[in-house]
Amino acid sequence: MLVAGVDVGAATAKAVILGDSGILGYSIRPTGHNAKLAANKVTQEALEKAGLSISIDDLDYVVSTGYARGSIDLANKTFTEIICHAKGAHFVIPSTRFIIDMGGQDSKAIEVDPEGNVTNFIMNDKCAAGTGRFIEVMAQVLEVESVAEMGPLALQSKKPCCISSTCTVFAETEVVVLRAEGKDRKDLIAGVHRAVASRVAAMASSLTIRPDAVFTGGVAKNIGVRRFLEEKIGMELRVPEEPQIIGALGAALFAREGFKGDN
Amino acid sequence: MADYYDELFKLCGFEDEEIEEERTRIEKAFERLGIGPEDMETADSWVRQNHDVTLKGVRKLLGAWLKELIDLVLARDDGKKIVYFGFPAILGPGLMLSASSDDVFVCAPDMVLDHTMGQIFNKLTPILEAGEANGLPSGHALCSLWQAKIGGVALGMIPVPDLALASSYYCDMGSKADDLVTAQFGVPMAYIDGVMDSSWGEYPDYLPERVHYLGAQIDQALKKAEKVLDIEIVPDAWEKSQKDSRAFVNNLLRLLDLMRADPVPVSVAELELLEALSGSSTGRGIREGVKAMEILIPELEERVKAGTGAVEKGAPRVITWVGHCADPRVTRLVEDVGLAVPLTLTLAWVGGPPFKPKRTYATPGEKIADYELATGIFHGTDGVIKRFEMGAKVMKLDGFIMNYLYNCRPDALLSHNTKKYLEEKTGLPVLALEIDAFDSRAYSAASLRTKVETFAHMLKAKKKSAKE
Repeated sequence: MLVAGVDVGAATAKAVILGDSGILGYSIRPTGHNAKLAANKVTQEALEKAGLSISIDDLDYVVSTGYARGSIDLANKTFTEIICHAKGAHFVIPSTRFIIDMGGQDSKAIEVDPEGNVTNFIMNDKCAAGTGRFIEVMAQVLEVESVAEMGPLALQSKKPCCISSTCTVFAETEVVVLRAEGKDRKDLIAGVHRAVASRVAAMASSLTIRPDAVFTGGVAKNIGVRRFLEEKIGMELRVPEEPQIIGALGAALFAREGFKGDN
Repeated sequence: MADYYDELFKLCGFEDEEIEEERTRIEKAFERLGIGPEDMETADSWVRQNHDVTLKGVRKLLGAWLKELIDLVLARDDGKKIVYFGFPAILGPGLMLSASSDDVFVCAPDMVLDHTMGQIFNKLTPILEAGEANGLPSGHALCSLWQAKIGGVALGMIPVPDLALASSYYCDMGSKADDLVTAQFGVPMAYIDGVMDSSWGEYPDYLPERVHYLGAQIDQALKKAEKVLDIEIVPDAWEKSQKDSRAFVNNLLRLLDLMRADPVPVSVAELELLEALSGSSTGRGIREGVKAMEILIPELEERVKAGTGAVEKGAPRVITWVGHCADPRVTRLVEDVGLAVPLTLTLAWVGGPPFKPKRTYATPGEKIADYELATGIFHGTDGVIKRFEMGAKVMKLDGFIMNYLYNCRPDALLSHNTKKYLEEKTGLPVLALEIDAFDSRAYSAASLRTKVETFAHMLKAKKKSAKE
């Protein structure tokens, strides 16, 4: 059996290849302007990383998720990314009861039952201020070479600035003004991270946050957001080894079930 | 002689002779609305996409809205005295005015524009933009329904009324928007003070002093209307208006009874056309709506008998809070992901468990107030939750969708409170879904789909595990 889960989000496409022995390989790449192409490429790359010299047409079953899930030709079935994140997180951390997923262009909070089924959720999709895109924009404004440096820099601050704006565009203006006032760059970076965390924590708090709480999505790699989020929700967040592929992994697990169901 | 709009009117249930009879009026109205041959293709595909035009009753319903639109646009030409009220409204005063004189045209013009310029012609945006340019600017969380009213008047599409009946009974923004009608167009206003917030736990009871207060407010508004319009409200106006609307309500009840079937025989988007008509029209729209239902009922009975419907048999059943007035795609989306929607809450007003007015009040205003307060819908969150709870039992629901407008003060607050308490009280999941029922520019279909699809998955999984 060889199945794939493909998660095509607004910012990145992710694919996970599952075999009988478990995860064989995965890949992450920018979605770009063509979601179908991104899905095919990322799946092919995942196959290559798995050391398999086969084409995507040879896969036994494919499940797609993410915003572009409906337009992925190679998919046998689709599930929403909320359901897939729950499935994937429960697979890697079976004690998962709550998930915060922060992607490039949206964020979600998800309650799950002991079997990994979604029982409640909330999703922010109208504003970039609680998303990875906010941090990317701020990295540019603050001239941080790589987004990956942002989190560690944020943790070096002892006095995070207060970024009051809840809009990415206006927050950019605010940060520029604060820089002109001579605020320390690390304090500004910390302020940016705290603003993102506050927004997502406020959204998550409308649900019941309970342990184990798991942090997924690309932003979960950012130690600064994670720390501020933990502070805000008053609970430790567990982060899977590769949090960005959890949605694709969930899709792959559904693909495995689909394959078994079909055979 | 046939013209470019004939096919669209036939699609909307008009008979050939009706088109001939209305031809001059259609053309006059279209000229004022800026509708021309270039709009027909869009309208045709928009109607087919969003409505079940295989049902003659549905087509007739769309026709009822078109007739209401024509009457609204030409009300001044027809020599009518024109009264506008807001939606959702205390409908009684408008019905009584309408029942008292054939010379008075009373309606909620914004709802008429939403259901015709929005749902039929997909041409509402320029009207909303005109509303934005005339006192209700964008980006200020102002309701698009009121933008439609102000925009329609500002563009000269609909006439300046002789009187605006304004009330904050449900929405305080509505009465403020009506202020603009006075400020900009010099229209007299009859206010009905609607300080009606009831105590938590009070419903289904309601205090007599609130009936007296609201009743007195309605009575003084009616007196002002008599003076401004130079008409006399006939002594039996309330009874007469009730009689006129009874046929509508009775038919609606029969339809809602059919919606108990599994599968539900028709999309709730079609019933929303009726729900909105009953809250917007006091004239021809209502009479035509009754006729449309007389055709639709046997059509749906056939479907129930054949076991066919809008979604698969066994689909999880949800109630939604508001119908989508300007653009039914959100309602359709809910059904597309495999959820059956037998009811909206506003329909539960008539189709849910019966509510019981005390019927012990004397003045016309008090009779209306008694009826309004008995519904429990618009004057307190607790009443809404109870109506939802009751609706869940009647319609054997699996969940609730609290679709709410970000820019609607009562709705936005209510949706989150209702989610919490309904989940606790019924154990059924509630999805709080931000939409804009009056403006399709304000939401993203992709993100709505993710939320609704996830909710449908949750309900299906729950239903499946309950069976196992």
